[in-house]
Amino acid sequence: MFSQYFGNYLLNRGLIRPDQLTDALEYQRSMRLKLGVIAVNAGYMTPAQVEEIHNMQKKADKRFGELAVEKGYITEQQLEEMLATQKQGHLMLGQALVDRGHLTIEQLQEALENYRKEYGMSSRQFNVVGKDDSLQIEQIFRDHGEALLGKLYSDYVTLLIKNLIRFVDDNPIVEINQFRSDITAQWFVSQEIYGKINMFTAIACDRDVFVKFAAKFAQEDITEPDELAQASVGEFLNLHNGIFLVNMSNNGVELEMNPQQVEQNRTLANPGKAYVVTCHMTWGRFDMILV
Amino acid sequence: MSSNRPTILICDDSLLVRKKMKDCLKEYGDFNIVEASTGQSSIELFKQYEPDLVFLDIVMPDKNGIEALKEMMAVKKDVKVIMLSSSGTKSHLKAAMDAGAHDFIQKPWEKSQIEHIIRNIF
Repeated sequence: MFSQYFGNYLLNRGLIRPDQLTDALEYQRSMRLKLGVIAVNAGYMTPAQVEEIHNMQKKADKRFGELAVEKGYITEQQLEEMLATQKQGHLMLGQALVDRGHLTIEQLQEALENYRKEYGMSSRQFNVVGKDDSLQIEQIFRDHGEALLGKLYSDYVTLLIKNLIRFVDDNPIVEINQFRSDITAQWFVSQEIYGKINMFTAIACDRDVFVKFAAKFAQEDITEPDELAQASVGEFLNLHNGIFLVNMSNNGVELEMNPQQVEQNRTLANPGKAYVVTCHMTWGRFDMILV
Repeated sequence: MSSNRPTILICDDSLLVRKKMKDCLKEYGDFNIVEASTGQSSIELFKQYEPDLVFLDIVMPDKNGIEALKEMMAVKKDVKVIMLSSSGTKSHLKAAMDAGAHDFIQKPWEKSQIEHIIRNIF
C-alpha cells in the first residue's frame, strides 16, 4: 500500500508523471518475489494450496500469509521466514524510481522527508513504512488517508485499491482530488449506497478504457461496449460495493445498495462535497466518483 | 425442454454473472437453465417452470432477492434456493436464512462451491 500512497503523493506534487510511476511499479513488481512462490520453493505449500489461497483472497479481505496460516498450511514461524525472504528480494518504490532514472537520489530523499513532515509521521512510523511489508503500514496510511478524506472515504478507497489489484490490475495508482467541476464521461456506471450513510459511487471513463476494464474483469474477449461489457464493469462496481457493505456490517453499520446503472454520455454536475479518485491502470485511466 | 432434466433458475441482473454461472453449470450436468434479470421476473419464471434449484441475487431491480425468496417459499416450501450476492452483510445473511434459503454464497464464487452444491442436491 505504501507504493500506492507515496506514488500518489509524488504525482500530486508533480514530481513524476503517471507513466513514470507505472514504469517504476512494474519494475518494482518484477523484482518482488511472491509469497506463494517462496512457499512452494521452501516446500511449505503445494502449488494447488497456493492457488486455493489466491482464490480465497479474491473474496476475503486478508493477506496471503494470514490465510495460509489459518488454513494450517504454514506456521507463524514459517510465515516470518517467508516474509524475511521476500524482503531481501524486494525493491522499494523509491529505489525503483531512481533505478529507472525518474528521480535522483537527492530528489527522492527530499520527497520522502517532505512526505514525512507533511503527514506528521513520527520517525518510528516512517521506519515501519520504509520496510514496506509490515502489517502496521496499512493502519498508518489508513490514518493519514483519514486525515485527508475522512474515515469513510479512506476505507472505501483503501478497499478499492485492493479490489483493483485483485481483479483488474497489479499496479493501480490512485490520485485523490476534490470534485471541482462538472464531469462528462462517455461511459458512466453508478451505484447508490444508502442507510445510516448515503453515498453515490460511480466509474466514469471513455469507450476504450470501458472495454478494456470489462475484458479484464470478465476475463472474456470483449471488444465492444456491448451488453456483456456493461454487465462486467457494472458487476465490478457491484462487487466492490458489496464487499464494502460487508466490511461496514462487520463494524456494526448495516447499509444497503441499489442496483448499479450504466449510462452513456452522462454529465454529472459538481455536487459540492465530493471526491474524484483517478485510477491510473496499466491499460488506461478512469475516475471513481464519490459523493 | 426435456422434462426429466433438472431445472435451474438463475436470477441475477448481471448478464456476466448469468453467463459465468451457465458455463459453470454445464460442466456439472445436463440441466434446463432458465434466466431472470429482475426480482419480479424471477418470481414469474419460478411459478412457470417450478425449478429444482434457484440461484438468487439480492440486489436486483424491481424487487430484491430477499422479497423474491419469500414469495418463492410461499409457492413451494421445499425448493432449494441459494442466495448469491456480493453483499453478504449480517442483516442479509439473517434475512435470507430466516426466509428459508438453503445456502448463501458470497460473490465472487468459486466453481468448487457450485460443484459442491450440485453434487449435494442432484
